[in-house]
Amino acid sequence: MEAEVEETLKRIQSQKGVQGIIVVNAEGIPIKTTLDNSTTVQYAAQIHQLVLKARSTVRDMDPQNDLTFLRLRCKKNEIMVAPDKEYFLIVIQNPTD
Amino acid sequence: KTCQTAEFKTAEVEVQARHSSDNAAQTEADQHRTQLFDLERESHMHYPGLGDFLHSVEDTVVKELKKNAKSHAFEGFEVNWEDQNETVSCLHALQYSEAQERELQVTSLSWNTTGSVVACAYGRLDDGDWSTEKSFVCTWNLDRRGLNPKRPDLVIDVPTSVMCLSFHPSKPSLIAGGLYSGEVLVWDTSRTQDPLCARTAMSDETHREPVYQVHWVPGARRGDGFSVLSAGADGRILVWQLDSEGQLTLSDGFALVTQQIPRNVQLSKARGDCLLGVTALSLCPWDWDVFLVGVEGGLVLKCSFSTRTPAAVSSPSSGLALRAPAQFTFSSHAGPIHAIHCSPFHRNLFLSAGMDGHAHLRSLLQATPLLSLRLSDSYLFSVRWSPTRPLVFAASTGQGSLVIFDLGRGSLRPAATIEQDTGGKPVYCLEFNPKQPHLLAAGSADGTVKIWQLSAELIEQGQREAAQLEQLATEAMQ
Repeated sequence: MEAEVEETLKRIQSQKGVQGIIVVNAEGIPIKTTLDNSTTVQYAAQIHQLVLKARSTVRDMDPQNDLTFLRLRCKKNEIMVAPDKEYFLIVIQNPTD
Repeated sequence: KTCQTAEFKTAEVEVQARHSSDNAAQTEADQHRTQLFDLERESHMHYPGLGDFLHSVEDTVVKELKKNAKSHAFEGFEVNWEDQNETVSCLHALQYSEAQERELQVTSLSWNTTGSVVACAYGRLDDGDWSTEKSFVCTWNLDRRGLNPKRPDLVIDVPTSVMCLSFHPSKPSLIAGGLYSGEVLVWDTSRTQDPLCARTAMSDETHREPVYQVHWVPGARRGDGFSVLSAGADGRILVWQLDSEGQLTLSDGFALVTQQIPRNVQLSKARGDCLLGVTALSLCPWDWDVFLVGVEGGLVLKCSFSTRTPAAVSSPSSGLALRAPAQFTFSSHAGPIHAIHCSPFHRNLFLSAGMDGHAHLRSLLQATPLLSLRLSDSYLFSVRWSPTRPLVFAASTGQGSLVIFDLGRGSLRPAATIEQDTGGKPVYCLEFNPKQPHLLAAGSADGTVKIWQLSAELIEQGQREAAQLEQLATEAMQ
């Protein structure tokens, strides 16, 4: 079970340009990461808040709608978040690498 | 014609809360969250449903990652959040009337660590004789309202010309200066009474010739404060510690003797035991043990603080034994070098600029330069990498202009040339503001310090600049 989780994370990490992966739980606490501690804690806290806000924005505009994926395009990289009830998967990719 | 909708029903309703309660909430310090995250511990814990969750999102995420890597959707798409300055403009022209009257030149500049105060040193760089002319160090706080460019916030009187100046890297009010007489002084600009807070005593061990470079270096161990490093025309590089009694005590020292220069490059036939005066120095921000020195004659040397070789000079009986720091010699310029600067973005690259009007892009790993750029028909007195754009650097010329060069443009012509309007007099020093990268200060021989505001394209980092710099470094290596 544990090995499967690691395998999946490795597969995602091996995609082109991926700089890091963080898995956070429903409270925004990081539980798996490929980055260093301080970067992970920073990303986890900030992105968790952003995803909750994005989700409430979508549902406010249409209660039947819901957030399925969030992508943040930045000058230097792109941050992708796949949200779920219990966990969020955050992937940071530099597509031009 | 009129129209009307079908009848629709309305109703009025009122709502009121029947019960109310007060409640308060408080957050705990964020440390709590950081402590909870312990990578070692977490990797052994089992999370219910994590496997299923990853399984369900993996395909979508991998698909998006692959699409993104191939996509051209955002190519060339740029967003401007800040005000875009299209042109370079001169924000301030700072002068001190007494220095102007005596036609003193600006020999050195430094920004303090917060980026709000600029200090300049007055003196003369073209004098051959021993000078006992008094001079000044002036500071201006650019963030202060009511800034008067003609009147400095603080004027410090100094007994002889000041050749170099450097603010402390973390204490915004401490500034060190090296004098023509060989003394090194440290001032504290927050002291109202007497800003002088430490000086070197005159002894056998101190510099006896002008000090051309002064820098703050971190102490040997963590937790030690910064020490002052001074290098002068006498070929000695000395490290001083500030003590509480206002003395700078010598804690370490090096001497550059001709015969001890590594012979990996053809050298001129100077007498073996003569000392080589230092004209330029740069600390390497990537490896605190390494520092680069430019000496009389145009050589650039790579030196190490931790060298153990004693220097071939007679040391005073009770004094500190000087060591020979040079480990590698780079091929020389065709003339003295006035400036060396290590790149803040690439651990092996540095620039050197000299009296031959050329700026050389060099790597720590090879003796010959990677690129030799002719920036001016006259001398180059100073060269500095941009703190925000890995491919950009600025140089100041003997004709009174500033040249800004962009290595990413692939052209041999500068990206911008700024005329300082000095009437043909040289611009001796140049410094980027560490906290506000759009500001560039330049001091010239006519006694003025001009603060330039750079245009946005010269400051904002492009998408792949650091990678381009890396590519340039590896391609140009032989």
